Amino acid sequence: MSENIWYVAIERAVNNNIPRVKSILERHTYISDARAKLRQAKLEVLSNLKEYVDMTMESVRRNGGNVYLAKDGEEARSIVEKIVGDKNTIVMGKSMVAYECGIRQHLINKGKEVWETDLGEFLIQLSNEPPSHIIAPAIHMTREQASKVIRKIDSTSSAQSHEEIAGEARKFLRQKFINAEVGITGANAISADTGSILLIENEGNIRMSSIMPEVHIAIAGVEKIVPTLEHAFLEVMVQSAYAGLYPPTYVNLTSGPSSTGDIEMKRVSPAHGPKEFHLILLDNGRFKTADDPILSEALLCIRCGRCHFHCPVYRIMGQKWGDPPFTGPMGAMWSYVVYGDGKPSLLCAHSAGCREVCPMDINIPKVLERIKYIAQK
Amino acid sequence: MDNSVKQFLFNTMKQEFTPFPVDKSICTGWAEGEKRGGETILYTGCMYQLAPLSAIFNRISPIVSRMSSPQLILGMAKKVHPEKRELERSYKILRRISSILKKNGVDFGYLFEDEPYSGAFLLELGMLDEFEEYAKLVKDKLLSMGVKRIITVDPHSQNALSRYSEFFAFNIEVINYLDLVKDVGESRSKGTYVIHDSCLYSRFMNKRDVYRLILKKSGVSIKEDYMVTSKENSLCCGGPLAPVNDGLSSEIGKYRATQLKRVSDKVIVQCPFCYTNLSPYVEAIDIAEMISL
Ligand code: SF4
Repeated sequence: MSENIWYVAIERAVNNNIPRVKSILERHTYISDARAKLRQAKLEVLSNLKEYVDMTMESVRRNGGNVYLAKDGEEARSIVEKIVGDKNTIVMGKSMVAYECGIRQHLINKGKEVWETDLGEFLIQLSNEPPSHIIAPAIHMTREQASKVIRKIDSTSSAQSHEEIAGEARKFLRQKFINAEVGITGANAISADTGSILLIENEGNIRMSSIMPEVHIAIAGVEKIVPTLEHAFLEVMVQSAYAGLYPPTYVNLTSGPSSTGDIEMKRVSPAHGPKEFHLILLDNGRFKTADDPILSEALLCIRCGRCHFHCPVYRIMGQKWGDPPFTGPMGAMWSYVVYGDGKPSLLCAHSAGCREVCPMDINIPKVLERIKYIAQK
Repeated sequence: MDNSVKQFLFNTMKQEFTPFPVDKSICTGWAEGEKRGGETILYTGCMYQLAPLSAIFNRISPIVSRMSSPQLILGMAKKVHPEKRELERSYKILRRISSILKKNGVDFGYLFEDEPYSGAFLLELGMLDEFEEYAKLVKDKLLSMGVKRIITVDPHSQNALSRYSEFFAFNIEVINYLDLVKDVGESRSKGTYVIHDSCLYSRFMNKRDVYRLILKKSGVSIKEDYMVTSKENSLCCGGPLAPVNDGLSSEIGKYRATQLKRVSDKVIVQCPFCYTNLSPYVEAIDIAEMISL
């Protein structure tokens, strides 16, 4: 990708996103209280992480789901592989943690047919590139480039407009949803008290991925746990508002496999949705990070992607800054949290636009100062 | 920046109290007629004077660090002087700051060649142990000269000195000159200007309104633009990255200048490094050059 294309793409994204977030926050003033409450709730979980993981696991089991704690990406891959077994067709809803663990590539290597279903991720998969932004993974791609990429599924396609490109993807993926045996998603929030996961989206692909296949696997970092279902709702509200997508078109709540109580009020499972629900909670450096009073702030990140747009380094470097899927200021923190890579932090110019806009009030420059320090030791 | 270069600079700093080997007369050349020492000092940190040299230094240090004896070559930096025009400009700024403060009734001295560098770049590179060790030496030096109050003139020194107390007890008051400027005369400037905020002043020290008020009192016409000059949207000039990645630092400077030019082609800065990084791409003027006495 040439630098000029990147500048065009980021300029368009910034000019679309920043004013939109501003007007959302001005119109829905309660979001400000929600984020303060959410920060407190997440701090509470981080200071008692082990207890909250145990509580969550117990709640998921109570709902008839299966739950695992994976210490790293390798363990997560092997858990997924076992669950998938001899099933072959898999659809994925956008999940950074699945990317972090290399799930898609691992399953493809095992001969499975795996499709990303979020349009951005789908384009990234087709073009075989790393994502460049956490909520808009194909942000570096202009419409003109996307139109070329979509021809990989249909060389006769003449799709040019945003609508036409989305239409081609919809046509292609519809069949994949119908045939999929396993759906893999992430989770925006997990409530410890009810063992529920919440997922927000606008495309409908996550709803399809989590409902249509017989098996639903959700994979998420342990930092996604919040004390109660109320906090989980706060998290999806705040995340979508700060991402500039408020109200989210869909909020998906899943608490175990599908069930029905329609015969004599006896709850039996499955009904129409998946008959198996699996939640994989991932450590991969998060427990260690939670113990460091400065670094632990990084775990408050709700992946809204707002800090990226207010960072001069990201505006120049894009996906080249950080270890995929982590880019931007949050990515400089998270490259260290999960991959132990301190080098991205060295490029932080401590301009602090990120801190100014972060809904979780993460002192990102301070976290990066600490990582710079550790990286040079 | 290469580790051997960092170590070399750290050792030089501890011995000479300068950010890199430098002829100290460069730092003091502006101060003819200033009072020596005292409890309250005007602190330059040699930042305005050395900013043009730092740019050269950052450009050559990666090349030098690959040579067989980088220390020898870096040691020769003492013989290098900034371009006369640049140095004169920095002296003019410092003299003007000094006059403005005096007009505002502030009494101060200057430490001349005894003025120690703040250690800002160690802090900004995340070399926190080295920063602490060096800062303790600075503290002792300042105390031995009876300093009780420091008036800084740039954001990097202000930031570094005011963070000493995070590492150890530091009872010397650190204040920035902009906070002491209450009376200013009518500016002779013409046209409309855009402010490029120093990140440290704007987002770490909350001084955006302090210098906006000064400019307003001077009658300077300022144009604001939410996407370019607001607290959350104004971007860095790239200056702090120069020692780490000079190319990236310049790219950011160019990008920022392009944004600013969309608002006005005359840009007011408050930091010598913002000036260095932006001035190749847009007309940059220091706030001290804007305000009259
Ligand atoms: S660090 Fe803050 S602004 Fe950046 S993605 Fe995370 S929550 Fe959003």
